[in-house]
Amino acid sequence: MRWHIALGTLSVLVLVAVFGYVAIGEQQRMEAFTEAYDARQIETGATLFETHCRTCHGPQGKGIVGVAPAINAADLFNGDRLAAVGFSGTLTDYLEGVISAGRPVPSAGTNYPQRMPTWSQEYGGPLRKDQIDALVGFIENWEDRALAAGGGETGAPSGEPIGTDIAVSLPEGNPERGQDLAQGAQGGCSACHELAAVGPPWAGSSEMPGIATRAGDRINEADYKGNATTAQQYLIESIVQPNAFVVPGYESGIMPQDYAQRLTPQQVADLIAYMETMP
Amino acid sequence: MPIFRLHLPILDEIKEKGLRPALRDKTDDVVTRITAGLSIQDVRSMLRDDPPGRPNPRLKPHSEGFWLHMKPTYYHSLVDGVYPTFRLGWLSTFFFVVEIVTGVLLMVYYTPSPTAAYTNMLNILSNVPFGRLIRDVHRLGAELMVAIVMLHALRTFLTGSYKKPRQFTWATGIILLLVTWLLSFSGYLLPWDQLSLWAVTIGVSMVEAIPPEVVGRTVNLLFRGAPEFGANGLLRWYLLHVVALPLAGIVFVGVHYYKVVLHGHSLPPEAEEIGEDTARRVPTDSRSYFFPHVATRELFYVVALTAIIVIGALFYHAPLESHADPLVTPLHSTAPWYFLWLQGMLKLGDKVIFGLIVPGVLIGGLLVLPYIEVGPSRRYGHRRIGLTAGMGLVLTFAVLSYMGSPWYAVQTSPEQEAVAELLPQTHPGPLRLSNWEGLDVGTYEASSYAQAPSETLRSILAEFEHSVESIRVEGRSDFEGVMVVEDWQTNLKKVTVRILWTDDVSGDPGEYSQTVYLHKDSNYGQGE
Repeated sequence: MRWHIALGTLSVLVLVAVFGYVAIGEQQRMEAFTEAYDARQIETGATLFETHCRTCHGPQGKGIVGVAPAINAADLFNGDRLAAVGFSGTLTDYLEGVISAGRPVPSAGTNYPQRMPTWSQEYGGPLRKDQIDALVGFIENWEDRALAAGGGETGAPSGEPIGTDIAVSLPEGNPERGQDLAQGAQGGCSACHELAAVGPPWAGSSEMPGIATRAGDRINEADYKGNATTAQQYLIESIVQPNAFVVPGYESGIMPQDYAQRLTPQQVADLIAYMETMP
Repeated sequence: MPIFRLHLPILDEIKEKGLRPALRDKTDDVVTRITAGLSIQDVRSMLRDDPPGRPNPRLKPHSEGFWLHMKPTYYHSLVDGVYPTFRLGWLSTFFFVVEIVTGVLLMVYYTPSPTAAYTNMLNILSNVPFGRLIRDVHRLGAELMVAIVMLHALRTFLTGSYKKPRQFTWATGIILLLVTWLLSFSGYLLPWDQLSLWAVTIGVSMVEAIPPEVVGRTVNLLFRGAPEFGANGLLRWYLLHVVALPLAGIVFVGVHYYKVVLHGHSLPPEAEEIGEDTARRVPTDSRSYFFPHVATRELFYVVALTAIIVIGALFYHAPLESHADPLVTPLHSTAPWYFLWLQGMLKLGDKVIFGLIVPGVLIGGLLVLPYIEVGPSRRYGHRRIGLTAGMGLVLTFAVLSYMGSPWYAVQTSPEQEAVAELLPQTHPGPLRLSNWEGLDVGTYEASSYAQAPSETLRSILAEFEHSVESIRVEGRSDFEGVMVVEDWQTNLKKVTVRILWTDDVSGDPGEYSQTVYLHKDSNYGQGE
């Protein structure tokens, strides 16, 4: 019995000591957990960005001209963009609001015909609140590098633009440069034609042949309304005058309308050379 | 005449006896009231372990107080040691109380809603002082309680204590075992993380099989609140966890313990004649009185065990995975360990037979065991068949539990398994736990792990190579592991783990890959 009383008293003292020990470190532990959770949210956000945002906002959020603006850009973080849209809250609020509810009207002054969809489940989108927060965390983590890189998006071509004439004669195309252009931010074609089926997919599948074959077939079809007479002209037309003929099943006006001013003949030739690798 | 007159009898007594004697008498009076019959002198002599007077004043708290009324005044000294009870029943009750206390504290910070539950968990971990400790104690206590209750049932079986006259005590005990299982299981769903959602989904999927179909569907709906778990399902399981099951537990513990006291703790089998039950006839010289010996010992157990479990919770952290997602099933999801035997049984075949009928017959058989198995002898030597059957059941439980684990008969692709060695989906695993700074940007082949630039990469790649080497798939060869580390953002790296192979027939290359983003501060090492 003495042992019980002695050890019991000791246990009480040990308990008090343990609680004291926990109490001393508790503030720090809670802060450490918050920091770790925020970091994990960034990781989650990175995964979500790749699945849901990259197709329009481009790899590394650099934007795809004509599809969706850059978010990995200095003007988002230095306040210019918030000022431009007249948003007076914090960047976090802005991002959360825009991702959750989408943008019913495209950004003013730029050529983005697609509206930003709603993402929050609250508004009929697919993502939960904590996932929206994760995306916001991930996007805000770009701040340092975006501000250091400076500048905004540039859509200016590196030479004389090609214009809207589909009968233009093109230089020799390089399929590898074309692929880089299609998948990079300046062309941005892959976002809709390769990674997602926003536009007709370029690559062939069991249901239909690839873009190279289709271009030749299309001009001979009865419902074709464009002016192209060769496969190459059809491809040029689709790039520089996207609304001349819209493939049935796709909406008119979704494809950016400004490639005629943004691409040089060389670039269009490269793109077509790349497309010709997909029979 | 005054309307209100304040009368303090103590003042009269002080006037009469003087200050100190009056206060001493008053204190004595208060102590006697609180202890339900023991004066200061009695308490003192009890703590000094003096022999009690006659009549024994230490029996008064049993007859006059509420709480001790249910405790026996003395025990047979043969059941006062560790053997034969191993204190398992007492321990079960202790953990039940621990769970109630910590559970009530957690309830303060919890809302049973899919939109709030997970955030509440984060809040408990990041914003509630002692929050993690309370949660860890609750979880650790729950696991221990399940184990102890199961051991308690096993012990009762081994010593034959379920036999006449304790049949009903056994039956209520089996009900308490079920209540304990369900209590622990229903708590699984509440954090609303991947672990909870999928463990409970697997567990509940069985009831869907109840024939006829309309019954199965209805019962399934009742448990889930909708075809899939959601707000209704969570609320139902919460109410089961915090109201219905604890209430059932309290009621059945009451009945169970009443019967225990009524029949007395059964003596060791060898201590009495066959067919006799002498637990209630305790000779005067073999009595261990509750006061003071048992009482101080139990008090000691309470504080010592509390200290042990709190210290344990410093090292054990209840897991919290990512937010529940009904669309993503993590690889290697399992039911909780005490239900793995059921999951193993389901792998044997038909859901109705192995998920419902066999477990139903088993539990029902256990419930009525003492009414069927009526052999009079409790001696081990006379119960060879019974004890063998019991041990067989324990072995079956162990084997079925193994079969329920992901390591038995789960069809997944070996490539996926190999990647999951580095990037498991139910816990952090080696890659997430590795030293972030040591993950140098670059492309690495697992086979040339020795050339990797950092110690971290060398050990990760060696592990990767080891699991890639063990892949055996018919028709595929030249398995090769590649790991790519990219700098993705400030403090964020993208790691792609890729397995490549060649198809033997067509010669085509194939690949399987998984990507993870790792932040410098994500600190998976802290347990949550």
